[in-house]
Amino acid sequence: MTEKVGVYICHCGTNIAKTVDVVDVATWAGEQPNVEIAREYKFMCSSLGQDLIEEDIKEKGLTRVVVASCSPHMHEKTFRTACERGGLNPFFFEMANIREHDSWTTDDKEAATQKAKALTFAAVERVIHHQPLEPIPVDINSNTLVVGGGIAGISAALELADAGYHVYLVEREPSIGGHMAQLDKTFPTLDCSACILTPKMVDVGQHPNITLLTYSEVEAVEGYLGTYTVTVRKKARYVDEEHCTGCGICIEKCPFKVIDNVFEAGLGERKVIYRPFPQSVPKYPVIDTENCVYFQRGKCKACQLFCPTEPNSIDFEQEDQIIQMEVGNIILATGYDLFDVGKIPQYGYGKLANVFTSLEFERMVNASGPTDGKIVMRDMETPPKSVAIVHCVGSRDENYHKYCSKVCCMYSLKFAHLVHERIPEAEVYNCYIDMRTPGKGYEEFYDRLLEEGTHFIRGKVAEITDVARIPQEEGKLVVQVADTLIGKQRRIPVDMVILSPAMEAKPDSREVSQLFKMGCDFDGFFVERHPKLDPVATMTEGIYVVGACQGPKDVPESVAQGAAAAARVASLISRGTVMMEPVRASINQEECSGCRICNNMCPYNAIIFHEDRQVSEVITALCQGCGTCVAACPSGIITGAHFTNDQLFSQIEGILWDVRTESELVPGD
Amino acid sequence: MKQFAYYPGCSLESLSVSYDQSALESAKALDIELKEIIDWNCCGATSYFHADELLAYTLVARNLAIAEMDGLDFVAPCSGCYKNAYFTNQYLKEDPDLADHINYALEADNLHLEGKLSVKHLIEVFIDDVGLESIKEKVNHPLKDLRVAAYYGCQLVRPRKDGENVEDPQFFEDLISAIGAENVNYGNKMRCCGGSLIMTNRAAALDMVYQLLLDADKNQTDVIATICPLCNVNLEAYQSQVNQEYKSKFKIPVMYFTQLLGLALGIEPDRLGIGKELVSARILKQFE
Amino acid sequence: MEATLTFSKEIANLLYAEHGNPIRDCIQCGTCSGSCPAVEYMDHSPRQLIAMIGADMKEEVMESNTYWSCASCYQCNVRCPAGIDIAGMMYGLKRYSMWRERYKEGLVGPQFNESFMKMIMRTGRSFEPVLAPTYVFKLGAKDMFDEAMMATSLFFKGRMSLIPKRIKRIEDFRKMVKRIIPFGGDA
Repeated sequence: MTEKVGVYICHCGTNIAKTVDVVDVATWAGEQPNVEIAREYKFMCSSLGQDLIEEDIKEKGLTRVVVASCSPHMHEKTFRTACERGGLNPFFFEMANIREHDSWTTDDKEAATQKAKALTFAAVERVIHHQPLEPIPVDINSNTLVVGGGIAGISAALELADAGYHVYLVEREPSIGGHMAQLDKTFPTLDCSACILTPKMVDVGQHPNITLLTYSEVEAVEGYLGTYTVTVRKKARYVDEEHCTGCGICIEKCPFKVIDNVFEAGLGERKVIYRPFPQSVPKYPVIDTENCVYFQRGKCKACQLFCPTEPNSIDFEQEDQIIQMEVGNIILATGYDLFDVGKIPQYGYGKLANVFTSLEFERMVNASGPTDGKIVMRDMETPPKSVAIVHCVGSRDENYHKYCSKVCCMYSLKFAHLVHERIPEAEVYNCYIDMRTPGKGYEEFYDRLLEEGTHFIRGKVAEITDVARIPQEEGKLVVQVADTLIGKQRRIPVDMVILSPAMEAKPDSREVSQLFKMGCDFDGFFVERHPKLDPVATMTEGIYVVGACQGPKDVPESVAQGAAAAARVASLISRGTVMMEPVRASINQEECSGCRICNNMCPYNAIIFHEDRQVSEVITALCQGCGTCVAACPSGIITGAHFTNDQLFSQIEGILWDVRTESELVPGD
Repeated sequence: MKQFAYYPGCSLESLSVSYDQSALESAKALDIELKEIIDWNCCGATSYFHADELLAYTLVARNLAIAEMDGLDFVAPCSGCYKNAYFTNQYLKEDPDLADHINYALEADNLHLEGKLSVKHLIEVFIDDVGLESIKEKVNHPLKDLRVAAYYGCQLVRPRKDGENVEDPQFFEDLISAIGAENVNYGNKMRCCGGSLIMTNRAAALDMVYQLLLDADKNQTDVIATICPLCNVNLEAYQSQVNQEYKSKFKIPVMYFTQLLGLALGIEPDRLGIGKELVSARILKQFE
Repeated sequence: MEATLTFSKEIANLLYAEHGNPIRDCIQCGTCSGSCPAVEYMDHSPRQLIAMIGADMKEEVMESNTYWSCASCYQCNVRCPAGIDIAGMMYGLKRYSMWRERYKEGLVGPQFNESFMKMIMRTGRSFEPVLAPTYVFKLGAKDMFDEAMMATSLFFKGRMSLIPKRIKRIEDFRKMVKRIIPFGGDA
């Protein structure tokens, strides 16, 4: 068969042309069989360059196009679209990379030109065997699942719900709100966290388009973009949500208290039947069965006794519910955890009573917290006269986490402000390595703290000790730090120390990522598709990551990411059908022997086996075109679209143009 | 009888001879034979690392190579010797180039080092190979109500070898508890005694010794227990100089952990070198 | 051979078996200086010294007493968030200083090390009385007296020997050493 191939060699300014003799390559290419026209041009990706392709297709009746330029990562899409505009199927296009693979690898002009010829010819030989593939349509279910009810998840859910689409919001804790609900004030405006968060929480609770599933966890995820089937376990609260009015009498009457290690960070207590905090959404309490006297020993039942509703809202027989849902897209907003500061023994947490973590301090300063907002030492009574705030605890440290946790400088400044505000005579010391205040209003906030008389010591704290050397250190916590700006080691006696720990990925982030078939990075944070240009999508179509589960970030960024993912999902839903790349594998079921070797090889679980017919089949929409099954099939009856044997062998032959003597095309299928 | 290749080190020959005596005695009482390495040489302490790194490793490697001939694991009672031996052994295993250089030199003394054996500090032998439970069983003179400040010092635990706790380990305190004594909770247990600075920068070292004695004293310490001869000498032999410099009145006896262990096992004090101290250890008389 | 190397590169190259991250990785956080028990006796803190090396301030670094006051306690090493082998760097500076014979006047360290090395070459083992002259004469009169008193007490307690011990295979030992560096002359 003869084809009419158009070959275009790009100069890419001097990037290619400096090393590769583009004129020579174009001339040579023009002399090759099947090549109708060969041109060289300064910038193929420019409008004019693209026009060249379009016009040549129309005027010269080209049936194939080859562009030899940069990496397909850059402009494959550009040129495919140009072909389409010219009336040619975009898959009749092939790109040869003579920049990253050639001109940028060597200064040897002769070798580079030879290689450019080989690469271009290989592309020509290959493209002749291309098939006119059509993109695959996939229907997008208009439901969306948002996993995690912190500020990022809430933001994403509200944007989608307001746009008119239905959202399932699944949250592991009994209430939505996440860590933001635990905070007192937010930087830099010092807005009360609950005041700005709770209206949104109420919106979520009342929104007709949001189905809120709290105290629930995702157990299984099947399917692919547009048609995910998700199994959620709604854990038993032992409270009947139908009839409970949220009056709270059960909580009042419950005789047993335990230390609240989750919401109150161990500083306060809660009842055994409880709501995490007063503004919880939903309002339904939950019974902590591990500490409940009824569940452990069969006694009490005070909550049931005093519940005023008819019928009674306490249901000790309640069971976990398994709920299945069909959704088109999934947004992960599972949040973060704080680094365990006990891993740094020299900071004394746990040994020295008045060393606190940031979360403990947040609860302490919170007006509805365990001390009603009073800043006091571990005895819960005495206010400190001096406070040291330690930055970078477990961050920027090879021994723990190499990364910077981004938000700690700002909240450490916030803490300093709160101490100044509530204990005006107190001395406050912030010990930092670098002051990171890049956001809007952040540097001004730092300035405010300087004006408030905070002592800033540039030095990473070496140790916190109660070993006194001089009388002034007796009975105090001594912060030993090198003041690098003065150039001396200083020992600063203080009453209280607050540690600002690193923001970590949740401990089960790896398991969660596997559940949703996407990846984690080395630190356990979910991996985005592109760190610069696509921070909310993942490598898995239909799964998005927003908020701190993707990496340390503050509230405005989490909100923005939530909204960004919502916009992405909304655009897919509004299109209704999405076209997917047809570079997929397909099994010739007629010839499949049912050996099932391919089934387990597929990293995307995209191959199913039909028991009745004893043949395997690739689920096209799930297939990512990796080619593993194509190579694994012992009968060779799996075809990788756009990567067929003919195409690949021709490409290889093309590369070897100057060393082979005759066609050695391997007889294949 | 479990055997180990025993590397006493130069200090144990004279200055810290009581450490040597008590080590051999308490080991024997716990079925451990410490076989002295034949014709061992000085490990070079820190001084050789100040001169030439490769030569320093070679000096250490000679002793390891002699030990390897017997196929016994290498044990050093001195933290400095231990640190040198441990890391020389490790670097040799990781770096074939270094191994080649060192073995080329060792050839001159008809030696070769493969790096097959393990290197331990003496205290690890008691804790890991004998075991705290066995020790507890054999203790017949528990050092009841004796307040002991277990002093780790530097080079036993640092540099980091694995993921172990280098800021607040407890194994030394566990051994002290096993022999029936009471542990003193004091913050400076991991802080340096000054080491060889006692000779090369007297003022700095005396300050560091002073901080340790001060902390131990404030916490009502009866005895400081050491695991290194240099720590012991600095804390004990120089105690009077510290008193003069800082106008303090410390009179805290400083004993090797093997001496306390030996006493608890019922061994006679003079066989443990007790009586050779410059700061009197008469508080221990009650346990004889 | 090393004519065109900057001072910072020279120091970086001195660490034979690199057991930590390069000195360049230092973020000047000050953890080392904050942890160092001898920092009050150093004219520059460890952190400052690293900054000075990075700035190629050769004179000031060599003249500093900082690296000669390092006790190699390794507290800086285990805490450094950049994973730098700071104690190793101090050793490297000492070696450089001895090799170039450049150091602050009046320091005990250099002579002490030289004596120590020669002593080992002589007998293969350490012998305190040989080392004493390197530092006692730098002490004040009273301190010298105290030192003498201490030495006498130790002697009477049987903890000081007057005769140095010598290893048997001292000749082969010396040959072994000479295969590493041709040690100058006979000690």
